[in-house]
Amino acid sequence: MNIIATFLLICGLIFFTGGAVGILRFPDFYSRLHPAGKLDTMGLLFMMLALSLFNLHHFSLGTLLTSLKIILIVVFVFLSSPTAVHAIVDAGVRAGLAPWTKGEERR
Amino acid sequence: MKIIGLIIAVLTGALLIYGTVDFPEWADPASPASTHLSPHFIEKTMEETSVPNIVTAVLADYRGYDTMFETTVIFAAGVVCFFLLRILKKEGPRQRLYRHALTGMTIRIRDGEKRPSVLDEFERIDTMWTPYDVIIKTVCRLLIPFIQLFALYVIAHGHHSPGGGFQGGVILGASIILLAISQDLRTAIKRMSEKVDAILSPAGVFIYAGTGALCLLLGGNFLDYSALASILHVDPVTARSHGILIVEIGVGVAVMATLIWIYNNVSSAGKYDEGL
Repeated sequence: MNIIATFLLICGLIFFTGGAVGILRFPDFYSRLHPAGKLDTMGLLFMMLALSLFNLHHFSLGTLLTSLKIILIVVFVFLSSPTAVHAIVDAGVRAGLAPWTKGEERR
Repeated sequence: MKIIGLIIAVLTGALLIYGTVDFPEWADPASPASTHLSPHFIEKTMEETSVPNIVTAVLADYRGYDTMFETTVIFAAGVVCFFLLRILKKEGPRQRLYRHALTGMTIRIRDGEKRPSVLDEFERIDTMWTPYDVIIKTVCRLLIPFIQLFALYVIAHGHHSPGGGFQGGVILGASIILLAISQDLRTAIKRMSEKVDAILSPAGVFIYAGTGALCLLLGGNFLDYSALASILHVDPVTARSHGILIVEIGVGVAVMATLIWIYNNVSSAGKYDEGL
């Protein structure tokens, strides 16, 4: 159980690191939102799975309920985080921000 | 006049700072608060109120007056926003936009112009036109019931975990505000009208103060919930726990209604017609 939890935590950390690097390195607003929306959601999935598994160490009704609540966090973040990013990108398009193209300076 | 004001402000500040000199040291174990009050709360809360969460017990029971007037302050903030911002004169925007539900075509009708007879096939949209966004609308409609369920959980579970009336009320209010942002203000007002806000906001304060007054009537002190034991048919300790729950519900109702009330007034500049 511990090994699986550690493996999942490391997976989640890899995704989070990718997200952080992406936010810092990508050239413009839209492409920076891409890692913010996708990798953080995926990293959270792995992290929360690991936590809920680790929490089931002593199996009882109480820990099972706590694990279920942790999984519920994942479900709601999976619904809300991409929607939020979609709304931000939408606002950017409507405000008239043109996407970055190759050869331009990063901004 | 400005100089006098400045002098008064500086003097008051200096006096306040001078007053802090007499305060006990930070985290001084010999200070009165740490020698009498804190040990009592930490040791006796469970046997006196049967509430595992000490913070909730202190907030709603031992320090009930303070929380009651905090709720009153929130209610007062809502009323002030209403009085300052609300424009009761019926004066809509000079033009209105309508969108055909099926084709997405938009028409504009200026004030005083004759309305077409087929208007019921159109839905009204804001003049600061926000285009139709299926994704955001659908996800928000999907999430709002869960947000409200979670808010009720936070209110009811305040005895055992972080949470309580204020937090739950804010989440409840935020769910309606999310509806207003994702759809439009009129949809939210249809669900939660101004009248409901204006009734619920003082009703929450009334529930709180009324619980206190009921304790007074039943022979206890004001906000001494153990007096409620006779009508709740439980022992006095459990009655204090239940009393805290009743009071938290009052706080939640007041906070929720006031938040929505303030949002409606601020976002539509008091017109309640279209906003954000």
